[in-house]
Amino acid sequence: MDAEALLDFDVLEKLLLPWAESVASPEPERVDVVLAAEDLVTAVSTLLDAHWGYLAAITGLDGEQLEVLYHFCQDAAVLTLRVPLPKENPVVPSLCGLIPSATVHEQELMEMFGITVTDTPHTGHLFLPDDWPADVYPLRKEFDASVVVGDGRTAAPSPVEPGSNKFIVPIGPQHPALKEPAHFEFAVDGEIVTDGAVRLGYAHRGIEKATESRTWTQDLYLLERICGICSHIHTLAYVLGVEKLAGVTAPPRAQAIRVLVAELERFHSHLLWFGVAAHEAGFDTLFMYTWRDRETVMDILENLTGNRVNYSANLLGGVKFDVTPEQIEMILEGLDFFDGRIEHYLNVVSHDGMFLQRTRNIGVMTAVQAEQLGCVGPNARASGVTRDVRIEAPYAAYDVFPVEPIIATSGDLEARFMVRLQELQASSTMLRRLLANLPEGELTTRMPRKIKPGETISRVEAPRGELLYFIKSNGANMPDRIKVRTPTLVNMASVMSLAVGHQLADMPMLLAGVDPCFSCNDRAVSVKSVGVDGRIWSWAELRQYGIDWYANK
Amino acid sequence: MTSTLETIKENITTWARLNSPWAIHYNSGSCNGCDIEILATLTPRYDVERFGIKLQGSPRHADILICTGPVTRQSRDRLRRIYDQMPEPKFVMAVGACALSGGVFEGCYNCLGGIDQVLPVNVFVPGCPPRPDAIIHGVVTLLESLKQ
Repeated sequence: MDAEALLDFDVLEKLLLPWAESVASPEPERVDVVLAAEDLVTAVSTLLDAHWGYLAAITGLDGEQLEVLYHFCQDAAVLTLRVPLPKENPVVPSLCGLIPSATVHEQELMEMFGITVTDTPHTGHLFLPDDWPADVYPLRKEFDASVVVGDGRTAAPSPVEPGSNKFIVPIGPQHPALKEPAHFEFAVDGEIVTDGAVRLGYAHRGIEKATESRTWTQDLYLLERICGICSHIHTLAYVLGVEKLAGVTAPPRAQAIRVLVAELERFHSHLLWFGVAAHEAGFDTLFMYTWRDRETVMDILENLTGNRVNYSANLLGGVKFDVTPEQIEMILEGLDFFDGRIEHYLNVVSHDGMFLQRTRNIGVMTAVQAEQLGCVGPNARASGVTRDVRIEAPYAAYDVFPVEPIIATSGDLEARFMVRLQELQASSTMLRRLLANLPEGELTTRMPRKIKPGETISRVEAPRGELLYFIKSNGANMPDRIKVRTPTLVNMASVMSLAVGHQLADMPMLLAGVDPCFSCNDRAVSVKSVGVDGRIWSWAELRQYGIDWYANK
Repeated sequence: MTSTLETIKENITTWARLNSPWAIHYNSGSCNGCDIEILATLTPRYDVERFGIKLQGSPRHADILICTGPVTRQSRDRLRRIYDQMPEPKFVMAVGACALSGGVFEGCYNCLGGIDQVLPVNVFVPGCPPRPDAIIHGVVTLLESLKQ
C-alpha cells in the first residue's frame, strides 16, 4: 500500500474507524487518530495486519493532560495514534507483543513521564541513573531539577537470570574499542557469546528538557551539539520542522546548500566509521589511510563553514553562508580525489582475504529481522530493506537533486561496508549535479521570533539512518516540546540480537558495524537470552579444571 | 654520592616521562565532537605520536587522562574510578568547552558541570570542539610544564 492510499481517508477509516475517537490531518502527509488506551493494541495489530508502516517513535506529551503519541511511518506518510491519559495514574498497554523493538521507547516513556506501561519486558532505567528518585519525571512540566540527588549509580542489567552461573565478560563504560561510554555485558560459553546486555545513558545530558527553556534560535545551537559527528543533520531536521510550523520555506539556494553540507557530512561520517571499523578488525593501516583521506572533506567543510565539526550552517529560514565558484572548484577537486579512494576501498573491502574473514557471513541480519527490529539507515539497507528518507520523503533539495538508492541483500558485515561506501559514490554523483545546477537567489528568508502553535514531525536521513524530530509549539518564543528519535536507538537493539552465537572477538566489529553513536542516542537497553546451561566456577575450581585438562591431554 | 645518584635517576625518569606520555581518553557525556578531534590528532595529518604520545586502553598504563564533555550524573563515579586506577604521577586534560564549564549543557538536569568539579585538572583546552592543533598544543604545554 503506498502512502497516498492511506492518506485517502476512506482507507484509513476502514482500518481504524472502529476505534477512532477522532481523525484529523494537521499536515498533508500526516494523519492523527485519537483513541483510547484499551483499544491501542487492537488498532496497532490491525495496522500491522494491513502491512502498514513501522513504529518510528513513541512521544510523550505533558500539557492539560498527558498524551502518548505513537508515530508510524510509511514512505512520506506519518500516522500518529494519540492516546490521551489522565495525570493521575496514567496507564497504557505495551506494544512489545506485536513490535518487540517498542521496548526502548516504552522504557523511555516510563522514566521520563511516569506513564505505566503494562506488560513491557524491561522496566528498569534506560538513560537515567539507577538511583534516580522515584516519582520524579524529567519531562513532566512540573519537574524540578533540585530534587535530584544521588551519586548516579548505574550498572548494566545482567545478561543472565539471577542465580545463573554463566561467565560474564563486562566491557566498558571506559573501553579501548569505542570512543564513547557504553557498558556491555556478554555472557559467554567458551569463546561463544550466549547473551548480551547493554547499558547506555552515560552521556545522557537532558537535552530534550533543556530545549524547553531556550528560545527557538538558542535551541538551534543546543541541538547541533547533540552529536559531534552528525551535527548538521540535527539542525537540519530542526529547522525544517520549525519552518514547517511557521509556514516559511527557505529559498532554493539555501536548501541546496543544506543538502550540500549534509552530504559532505555523510562523507566525513562514513569515512570516520570506516576507519574505526577497520581499527576494530585489527587493520590499523586502513584506519590511518581513511582518516588521512577524511581530512580532505574536513578541509572542505572548514573552508565552507569556518568550522571542522559544528558547522552551524543552518539558520531558521535559511543558511549562514554562500558557496563561491572557487569553493565549488575545491569541492569538485575533493570529490575527484574521493572517487579514486572509494574505488580503492571497495576493492579492499571485497577482496582482502583477512578482512573478509572478519566480515563475510558475520552478524547476518535478514530483511525480515531488520524489519522486525525496526532497523534504519545503512544497516537496514544492507539487509535489503529499502528505507531511506531522502528517497521516500524528499526534504530540503532532495526532490530536485535525487540520490540513487543503495541496497544490498546479504545482510552481513561485508554488506554494511559495501553499502556505506557505495552510498558515498552515490552522494558524489549527486553532489556534482547539485554543484553544476546550484540555484541562484537569496540565502535567508524572514522568520518570526515566535512560532505559531502547532505540532510537526520532521524526518531526515542522517548518516546512520532516519532521524525523527517531533516539535510542538504553543505560540511562545520557546518550544513546548522537542522529541528526538535518533537512528542509533533503534539500531542498537539489533546488535544484541545478532551477537548471540558469535565469537567474543567479533563483538567489537559487530558493535562498530551498526555505526553506533551514543551521544546521539544515549538511551537503549536490550537483553537477549537463549537457554545455554552453565555452572558457577570458583577460581579454585577453574584452576583445578585447567590443571586436570592439561594433565589428561 | 647518593644525592648525585638520586638526581641522575630523577633526570632519567623525567626524560622518559616527557618522551612517552601515554594517554587515556574518557567521554563523560560529550557530544563526540571533541572525541573525534582527539582521534584525529593520532592520525597521519596531525600525528601526535611524534611526541611519543600514545592513546591506549587501560587506565593502569596511563599518565594523562584526557576528558571530554560535561560530567553527567552517571559518569561522575566512573570518571573518579578511572582516575583512581591511574598510577602516580598523573595528569588531567579537559578538552572542549563542556569539559571546562559544562558549555551549552550548563543547567541541564543530568549535567554536573565541568571536569574540574570532579578531578583536579592540569590543562584546559577550550573550543567547541578545539582543533587538533589546539589539543596538541595543550599536551605540549603540559609536557613543558613538567620540565620544571
